[in-house]
Amino acid sequence: MENNNNQKKQLKEPPQKPSFWKILYKSSLSFWAMAPLLLGIIGLVGIFQVLVTPKMLSSLFRGNLIIDTLVGTLTGAVASGNPVISYLLGGGLLRQSVSLYAVSAFILSWVTLSFVNLPAEVAVFGSRFTLYRNLLAFVFTIIIAILTTLTIQVLA
Amino acid sequence: MKKKEKTFAFRGKYLLLVVIIFYGVLFLFNSGISLSALKVSILILIKILPIFVAVILFTATLNYFIKPKQIASHLGRKSGAKGWLWALAAGVISHGPMYAWYPLLEDLRGHGMRDGLIVVFFFSRAVKIPLLPMMVDYFGWIFTLVLSLYILVGALIQGWILEMIEQNNGELK
Repeated sequence: MENNNNQKKQLKEPPQKPSFWKILYKSSLSFWAMAPLLLGIIGLVGIFQVLVTPKMLSSLFRGNLIIDTLVGTLTGAVASGNPVISYLLGGGLLRQSVSLYAVSAFILSWVTLSFVNLPAEVAVFGSRFTLYRNLLAFVFTIIIAILTTLTIQVLA
Repeated sequence: MKKKEKTFAFRGKYLLLVVIIFYGVLFLFNSGISLSALKVSILILIKILPIFVAVILFTATLNYFIKPKQIASHLGRKSGAKGWLWALAAGVISHGPMYAWYPLLEDLRGHGMRDGLIVVFFFSRAVKIPLLPMMVDYFGWIFTLVLSLYILVGALIQGWILEMIEQNNGELK
């Protein structure tokens, strides 16, 4: 009888909450498991930053509004690094008479799209999600670049 | 049924191997470029290490104080407008490169975070509050204001579109 009561008590007790250190250890472990993936991406970013120079990027703009906007989106996605660099490059491109459509697309895709991150994004979120997200970001970068420039022209 | 324990396994081993091989081949052809790239990579790693530590601590704190069910209620299917706003705000205030946030988002997704909110988070990261003064300096305040506004609206629309696509494919969580 007493045994039965003890068993019931044990069943009623809620499961013990794991300690913070145990959870921290688990989080660190799952992060550690991702270390090769993150190191691979950082290695790729390093290569791209050295191989893709600002001069190379600015030489791709030809003066055609539509093509330049596409080029701006694609070069922003290929380039990588701190967004501050995209502002510096964008300012330089504007001074070289590259359209605001292209420059807006360039500074926006610098942050929202990244070819270098694609392998890691696929590994973490799956190929379908990565495809949808990047396609949406690509299309919306162009739309927002166009809308921003048009709005500024109207406001001006 | 007993919940299966996740077994530990490194991810991205092959990617890292390919990158190492690429560095090796690059070194054979042009050691200067290879060493410069390695130097840049090491500098990036040093710079984002504190962000990695912050993300680990944040993930652990979140898992300690908030139950998976609560995460699902804040960021899951029934989170409503609150979920969208959380994702938008988190994206705007998040710092560092996109990939630094993958482990946290993967964890939250495992606890029921909607894919649409991940899309919102990634796109709204384009609004960088600490860099706004610099953007104003380079492009003017009208440009900065208009672009930021469109980014936030665009992020929400993208999240909504993704959910529509997933709903049509029967993949919505």
